[in-house]
Amino acid sequence: MVRRFLAVALALVFATGLALGQDKIKITFWHAMGGWRVPFIERMVQDFNLTHPWIEVTVEYKGSYTDTLNAALAAARAGAGPHVFHSFEVGTQLLVDSGIIVPLEDLIDKFNLIVPWEDYIDPVLNYYRIGGRLYCMPWNSSNPIVYYNKTIMDKLGIEVPRKPTYNDIYEISKKVVESGLAEYGITWPVHSWFFEQWMAEQGVDLVNNNNGRTGYATEINLLDPAAIRIVEWWKKLYDEGLWVSPGRSWSQARQIFVSGQSAMLISSTSDVTAMENAAVEQGFELGTAFLPVPDGIERHGVIIGGGALWVTKDHPDEELQAAAEFVVWMTQVAQTIRWHQGTGYFPIRKTALKALDMEGWFVRFPNYRTAFDQLIETQLITATQGALMGTFVEARSTILDAVEAVLAGEKGIEEALQEAKALIDQSLQDYKELVGG
Amino acid sequence: MRSRFPNKWLPYLLLLPTLALCAIFLYYPVIQTFRLSTYRAILMGLHRKYVGFENYVRLFTSSDYIHSLTITFIFAVGVVVLGLSISLAIALLANHKIRGARFYRLLLIWPYALSPAVAGSIWLFLLNPTAGVVNYFMKVLFGISPDWLTDGRLALLAVTIAAMWKNLGYNIVFFLAGLQNLPGEILEAAKVDGAGPWTTFWRVTFPLLSPTTFFLLIMNLIYAFFGGFGLIMVMTEGGPNKATNILIFNLYQDAFRFHKWGLAAAQSVILFIMVVALTLIQFRTTGRRVHYGGQ
Repeated sequence: MVRRFLAVALALVFATGLALGQDKIKITFWHAMGGWRVPFIERMVQDFNLTHPWIEVTVEYKGSYTDTLNAALAAARAGAGPHVFHSFEVGTQLLVDSGIIVPLEDLIDKFNLIVPWEDYIDPVLNYYRIGGRLYCMPWNSSNPIVYYNKTIMDKLGIEVPRKPTYNDIYEISKKVVESGLAEYGITWPVHSWFFEQWMAEQGVDLVNNNNGRTGYATEINLLDPAAIRIVEWWKKLYDEGLWVSPGRSWSQARQIFVSGQSAMLISSTSDVTAMENAAVEQGFELGTAFLPVPDGIERHGVIIGGGALWVTKDHPDEELQAAAEFVVWMTQVAQTIRWHQGTGYFPIRKTALKALDMEGWFVRFPNYRTAFDQLIETQLITATQGALMGTFVEARSTILDAVEAVLAGEKGIEEALQEAKALIDQSLQDYKELVGG
Repeated sequence: MRSRFPNKWLPYLLLLPTLALCAIFLYYPVIQTFRLSTYRAILMGLHRKYVGFENYVRLFTSSDYIHSLTITFIFAVGVVVLGLSISLAIALLANHKIRGARFYRLLLIWPYALSPAVAGSIWLFLLNPTAGVVNYFMKVLFGISPDWLTDGRLALLAVTIAAMWKNLGYNIVFFLAGLQNLPGEILEAAKVDGAGPWTTFWRVTFPLLSPTTFFLLIMNLIYAFFGGFGLIMVMTEGGPNKATNILIFNLYQDAFRFHKWGLAAAQSVILFIMVVALTLIQFRTTGRRVHYGGQ
């Protein structure tokens, strides 16, 4: 009797499950955030599925940004692309030209979705606006700030300015190293991102054609005095033993700072939570400041870094609509607050900022304030909008090779930048010829 | 000897599955690669333009590519020469009949069972400039702490040693097998004739072992050209400033990171030709002197 009842019950459950399952619109979402963020994102997707019973999003972690991008390109060309996928900002131009994506704004117009654009923070959207159209939804956004060991600074009676200059950093590093309280003054990973940020801070476009915004870029501005100032300062810090190289590794840089070998660190704002925790563990007080800029140069602000969510085309309309709804949901006020508190990335909605402020979040974590203020004070110019290059990943690598050659003393600054420029220009022109006709 | 198949088509029919698999997964991609190498292509060939031999010309006039060739040569020679000599030495030691020999042999083969990613991470930990074991001993013994992976020359040395170490187990297995298959009577005859261990090794063991050595030479060379990728990816990503940018990594970078598919295809054609040429040269020269016993 019991058995029979169970059998019937099971059959019923299956039947309803199937029926419901068939009605659901199924879409896939690939992302590129590893580690503890994988379950975090899975929970967000679960919540979306619960609140949207007619849609079922399947989420998958696809490895690094490069892996995810390649996987999406290959799958989309084979006609099985993920509906939504996550890509880094430097892949933007490449994706626009890839022919596999549909601009987000087109979808939103087509399906009459209501999105309160005025509530989104402008510099964040701006990066992904090409020809006035928003191509994708910014998701994990961050920018670089200075972290410092306040305990060491207090001992030396140093007040780190909220908006330091290159010379401030140099002088502070010198005092720290001379005092012996830390082995080095400052560190940051050997990554082109910082170089790009310092170009933007000086109000100089990284590439021509208004940073590639009004036409395909064909030349990089590596011989601009702004570029030379950056590398000169970097080299000086290195030669005098004030900056220590963690190689290209972000975690190594954080470790050098956290372990007290260096008194300052420049890293992404998405590290605030991790740094706060590490500081407590290591027993020092953490301070933050804006990204330093060269002396006597006006501060123009930072470029938003990070990643965005893209929708691929060639799916039935109902699936595209579900994908658009999902992407918009991910940047709802409640979701961005949760995203920010969980990961350290920006909440990209003004209302979210206000809510966090009222909740007392910034009183508890004043270091997040630094990150926001720096972003909000950013001037809206093409330099801070960020460069568009189809060959951005390669250009980054070439820039780093040049910087490494300069630091190692193998090449002079202008020689190295000149050579890097020649390589990058060639790639840019090849790309334009191939894609832009 | 004449074929004993009743029907002359039967053997071909039996070979068909293998040939089909080869055609789909080997020959077709190879032909496509040759074709792609004459194009300038991005985004997996979505945008492409025929350019003839431009990719090849660009490669051989690029100082970066020539640099990569040189680095690969140094890397390969290091991996092959060091790897074969050290593993032969270890195999000779491990061939002694002592207590627990099997256990030692098992331990020696171990590194080969590690995936390149794990092996690379282990070396990263060992060579960490501030927290690594290697630098701890360097500091205690010599008072120095070298930047293993951020100094170009040291980084090349480090990845060469790591790649060599990774393949030791493989070489040792083959050398051990070779040593154990040596005809005992010849070794005994040498002993009776009054040859010391040194002479016995160079005059008897080494020549008799030459088929194994020759086989390993080719396998190690191929390993150095293609198999070094995983370790380099984990340990240095070709850096600093391209110091460990061996050909296979350069190819990966151009194809999968920079999306220059035509250029990458040209590089894989070059690598293909190089390995084929090396193997042919080896068969012609070393191959002739190889002593295959019993024939």
